[in-house]
Amino acid sequence: MQRISWRTPMAVLALAMLASCSGEEKAADRAGEAVAEAPEAGGELNLFAWSEYLPQSVIDDFQTETGIRVNYESYASNEEMLAKLTTGAVAYDLVQPSEYTVEAMVKEGMLVPLDKAQIPNLKNIGPEYYGLVHDPELTYSVPYMQGTVGIIVNTERIKEPVASFADVFSAKHKGKIVVLDDSREVVSWALASLGIDVNDVDSENLEKVKPVLAAWLPLVKVYDSDSPKTALTNGDVDLGIVWSGEGAILLNENPGKFTYTLPTDGAHMFIDSLAIPTTVQNAAAAHKFIDYILRPEVSVKISADFPYTNPNVEARKLLSPAELANAASYPPGNPKLSTFTDIGKAAADVDKLFTDMKAQSGS
Amino acid sequence: MRQGATSFQAAAGSQREPGRIGSLLLLPLVLWAFAFVVAPAAIMLVYSFLERGTLGGVQWGTFTLENYAGVGDPTYLGIIVRSIGYAGLTTGICLAAGYPVAYMIGRADARWRNLLLMAVMVPFWTSFLIRTYAWVTILKSQGLLNSLLLSTGLIAAPLDLLYTPGAVVVGLVYTFLPYMILPIFTSVEKLDGALIEAALDLGAGPVRAFSRVIVPLTTPGISAGILLVFVPALGIYAVNDILGGGRVDMIGNIIENQIKGNARNWPFGAALGTALLFSFGIAYYVVNRRQRVAEGR
Repeated sequence: MQRISWRTPMAVLALAMLASCSGEEKAADRAGEAVAEAPEAGGELNLFAWSEYLPQSVIDDFQTETGIRVNYESYASNEEMLAKLTTGAVAYDLVQPSEYTVEAMVKEGMLVPLDKAQIPNLKNIGPEYYGLVHDPELTYSVPYMQGTVGIIVNTERIKEPVASFADVFSAKHKGKIVVLDDSREVVSWALASLGIDVNDVDSENLEKVKPVLAAWLPLVKVYDSDSPKTALTNGDVDLGIVWSGEGAILLNENPGKFTYTLPTDGAHMFIDSLAIPTTVQNAAAAHKFIDYILRPEVSVKISADFPYTNPNVEARKLLSPAELANAASYPPGNPKLSTFTDIGKAAADVDKLFTDMKAQSGS
Repeated sequence: MRQGATSFQAAAGSQREPGRIGSLLLLPLVLWAFAFVVAPAAIMLVYSFLERGTLGGVQWGTFTLENYAGVGDPTYLGIIVRSIGYAGLTTGICLAAGYPVAYMIGRADARWRNLLLMAVMVPFWTSFLIRTYAWVTILKSQGLLNSLLLSTGLIAAPLDLLYTPGAVVVGLVYTFLPYMILPIFTSVEKLDGALIEAALDLGAGPVRAFSRVIVPLTTPGISAGILLVFVPALGIYAVNDILGGGRVDMIGNIIENQIKGNARNWPFGAALGTALLFSFGIAYYVVNRRQRVAEGR
C-alpha cells in the first residue's frame, strides 16, 4: 500500500538533516535511560508515522502536556517505513504500520509486546478490532484509524446504480474511471469479483485474474494512490475506487454530488495501528503517546481532519451527527469486509502481474 | 610537435605543476565523489546480485543472476524503450525550442541579457511539484485552456488534454527546457561574432554559416544540454504520475516500486538501476569517442 509516493524524495534531504541533528541528542538521552523507565516519561519520542494522518495540533498538545519532545518523521508507504526501520539509522520509538505489515513485523520479531498497564485507554477500542488475523489480542498494536476501499460515483454524471466491481469496470465508463495505483489493491478487487479470497494469491489464482484485469485496465483513465479525489473534483473522471478517507472528504465538500458505497463483492478493510518497534529507546514515552491518542477528546480531533473510521468507541460518541452520517467514514449496513494478510514474497508476483497488465493496456 | 612543446614547457614551467599541497586541495572533491558517487553505485551493483529479503532489503549469502534475467523480461524492456522514447522526444523538443532562445539571449545586449536570463530561471524559485500541478489546472477538462478555447468558439466540447501522453511531454519539456537553454547560452555568449561575419564575407549563406560555424562552435553547450535533459528525463516519474494519470509506467516508477512500493524487491530494483547506469556509461563513451574522432583528436 502506498499513499503519497513522489512527495517523499523532496523530504528525504530534510529528513536526513533532521536525523543527523537528533542523533547527537539521543546519545545524551540514552545515558538517562534508567530514569526514563518511570511513568514520568520526559525526554524525546521518535515517532515515525504516515504523512497526512496525524494533526500537528495533537502532537503540539502532547508535547505541552507531557514535556516529551516529539521528533515526527513521516512516510508514504508501509514498505518505505520498513526500509528505513531496518537500516537502523534512527532508533524509532513508535511506528504506524497497516494490518498486513503488523503481521509481517510480528513474524520477523520487529515489534515489542505492549505493556497494557500503561495504556488504560485501550478499553476505548471497539470489540470488533479484536480477533483479527494480524494481531488477535492486540498484543503488539493498537488500532489508530480504520478505513475501507470503496466505490465513489459522481451521481450528476452517472445515473444508474454502481454496486459491484464489474459495474465500475463497465465498457460504458471507459476513460471515466480513477483507481488506486496499487498492485495489491487492484489484484484483490479482481479476486473478489471472482469470489476468491483476496489473500489467496497463489499462481493459479493470479492466472485467473489475468483476463479480468485485461478487460478492466484499458477502461481506466487515472491511476492515483496519493490523491484520487483530485481527478473526481476536477471532473476529469466520473467514478472510481478510492480510500474511504478520500471518499469522505469528497462527500463533505460536495453534499449530494457523490456517493460512496462498498462493493457488493466484498471490500478491503485496512487498519493502521500504533506499534512499538524493537529499536525503541523511550518505551515509557511511546506508551504515553498511545494512551494519549486513545483519549476520546484527542481522537475526535484526528477524525475531524482525517475522516476515516474511528476505532475508538468513546470518541465516536463525541462525533457530530454529520460526521457519523458520512457513508464513507461509517458505511451503513453490514458490509462484507476483509483485511489483508502478509503474503510474503508473493507480493513481487502480484506486482509483476499488475505491471504486465498495465503495460498491455496502455500504449 | 606536441611532444616538443611539452618538453619545452616542462623546463620552464615546472613551478606551474600543482605541488603536493595543491593536490591536497582536491581531497574534499575526491572524498565527496567517493562517498556520493562511487560508494552508492558499488552498493547498488552488489545488491543487484543478491536475493530479495522478506521485508524488503536483501538476503546475503547466495549470489544470483536472476535479477538481470528479469531486466530482459518483455514488459520491462518495453517500459525501458518507452521511457527512452519519452526522454528522447523531450530532449529533441527542448533542443529545437531552446536553441533559438539561448542564441537570442546570448547575442542580446548586456542589459537585456541579464533580464532574459532571469526570466529563464524564475520558475526555479517555485517547487517543481507545484509548477507541475499548475499544469493540471491548465489542462483539466474544465481548466484554463479548455475554457479559453470554448469561449473563443474554436471548439464545441472540452478537449481531452490531461492524463494523455501529450500532457506528459508538455510537462517534461516545461520542466527541462531551462537545462537546455542555460548551457547553450554559455556557449553562444563566448561565440566570436567576427567568425560569423567572416563566414558570411567568404560567401556562406545564413544556413551554411549556421551549420558550419555556429553549431560546431556551440557544440559543447549542445552536448551538455542534451545530457542535462535526457538523463534526468529518463528517470523522472512524477510528471508521468501527475499529468499522465500513471497510465503508462516509466522505468522510474518501476524502480521506485521495487524499493518502497508493493513489490519490495530491492535486488531487482538495483539490477534495473545498474543496467540503466551501464547503458548511460556506454552511450556517453560512444558519443564522446565519435566527437573526438570527428574533431580529429
